[in-house]
Amino acid sequence: AMAWRAAPRAAARLLLGRRRIASCIDPSTGLTEDQKEFQKVALDFAAKEMAPYMAEWDEKEIFPVETMRKAAQLGFGGIYVKPDVGGSGLSRLDTSIIFEALSTGCTSTTAYMSIHNMCVWMIDTFGNEEQRRRFCPSLCSMEKFASYCLTEPGSGSDAASLLTSAQKKGDTYVLNGSKAFISGGGDTDVYVVMCRTGGPGPKGISCLVLEKGMPGLSFGKKEKKVGWNSQPTRAVIFEDCVVPVENRLGAEGQGFSIAMQGLNGGRINIASCSLGAAHASVLLAQEHLTVRKQFGEPLANNQYLQFRLAEMATRLVAARLMVRNAARALQEGREDAAVLCSMAKLFATDECFGICNQALQMHGGYGYLKDYAVQQFVRDIRVHQILEGTNEVMRMIVARNLLQG
Amino acid sequence: QAIDDDCNQTGQILAAMLDWPQGTFASRVELEDGAVRVQREVDGGLETLRLRLPAVLTADLRLNEPRYATLPNIMKAKKKPLELLAAAELGVPAGPARLKVLQVQEPPPRGAGERVDSVGSLLGKLRHAGCV
Repeated sequence: AMAWRAAPRAAARLLLGRRRIASCIDPSTGLTEDQKEFQKVALDFAAKEMAPYMAEWDEKEIFPVETMRKAAQLGFGGIYVKPDVGGSGLSRLDTSIIFEALSTGCTSTTAYMSIHNMCVWMIDTFGNEEQRRRFCPSLCSMEKFASYCLTEPGSGSDAASLLTSAQKKGDTYVLNGSKAFISGGGDTDVYVVMCRTGGPGPKGISCLVLEKGMPGLSFGKKEKKVGWNSQPTRAVIFEDCVVPVENRLGAEGQGFSIAMQGLNGGRINIASCSLGAAHASVLLAQEHLTVRKQFGEPLANNQYLQFRLAEMATRLVAARLMVRNAARALQEGREDAAVLCSMAKLFATDECFGICNQALQMHGGYGYLKDYAVQQFVRDIRVHQILEGTNEVMRMIVARNLLQG
Repeated sequence: QAIDDDCNQTGQILAAMLDWPQGTFASRVELEDGAVRVQREVDGGLETLRLRLPAVLTADLRLNEPRYATLPNIMKAKKKPLELLAAAELGVPAGPARLKVLQVQEPPPRGAGERVDSVGSLLGKLRHAGCV
């Protein structure tokens, strides 16, 4: 039972120890002094508070509430939320750097934290003063946790065709329908729900904030997943669920736009989580190649493996540049930001999965054992190619920009 | 023993100047009424002293776990004022006034070794040098 604790600690030692030589995959190159400080805190937190537990959280399906609250105390609960409601007021690039660093400790937990951050930002940005003050402070401190509810059993990629209805009755909305695959569902407190208040299509969708405990709000069974096991995933069910009008973010019909703007940042964050997992996997592979011997030599003497490792490193740096470039564009509010976020998410999640997968292959049979962390990085980031917009939808967005834009 | 110059002197000299008791290499500190119980990291293990207050303590790395810097504090650090003081303003004379260099010498150069032809003559030479 001690064995499966050893591998993540080994990864943690690698993360903390490898500061001597400026290597080609060093994630701190080109950053400002402040950004390097943020990154250092996040890497230290990941190595000490997350990496030693990532295997246990995965195996026992533990939602690490206390660890996330510790992270929130450092300011990681509302990284790009305004400080007047408890956020840290940092940029999208700072956020990307932080999530990339945290992800080296536990990708699944970091990915949930990024979803939480996205929800708090949506309330901060589109909520009125009363809503911001009501919801944001306790979310930034992670006293309460949030979930993003867009996908339904009948509408994934075709998100605008969602069916959950919200009928206006006096000064309330009555919701009926269900959401599927909701990260944190059932364990979280605040639900940002996209629902239909008007006619068909995106313009009929509004965004409502629900809270656990509201009558008519219930949850499905906890899903069993290949990865992302440190966060529960459940259906969210609305049966004549009554929500006050005061809980609507923005105007009626603005919900789809709010959801998509949230996802632009969400896509950068998910891509950043993939970067962290890939970085950790490259370090693990590098270590394994120097230690493991076959045919009388360390694997690192084998030119094929040297070339493979070089390719992994090159693709990691390329992906990182794509993500950081998109983060800057989003921060500056540039017109091409949304399509760049889509490109970055597409490229980074695909490349990083390939990198983690190669790293597993380099470990040989050991890579397939749960005693070794590399398999968890592979399992955890596989879903990044699917959620927050499938990589196929990312291609649709880029193609539309090229052919219609 | 600070990591910059490794001198292991500042706390001790201060205690001597103030004529206060000292507890150096502290790995655990417990305040009592008018006194402090200090556990020290020494070569042979751990030593616990009880010192009357006021006292001078120096910290060993095992005393505490450093906190993580928070994001807001990192941002505030840049804006903290940096006040420059001249030594003269504090009444500190320039230069190491209390130090006088008596002598500087290199360590003796390493002598050549000597080959012996048997274990017996090795033992003989070691005995002769007073090492055995």
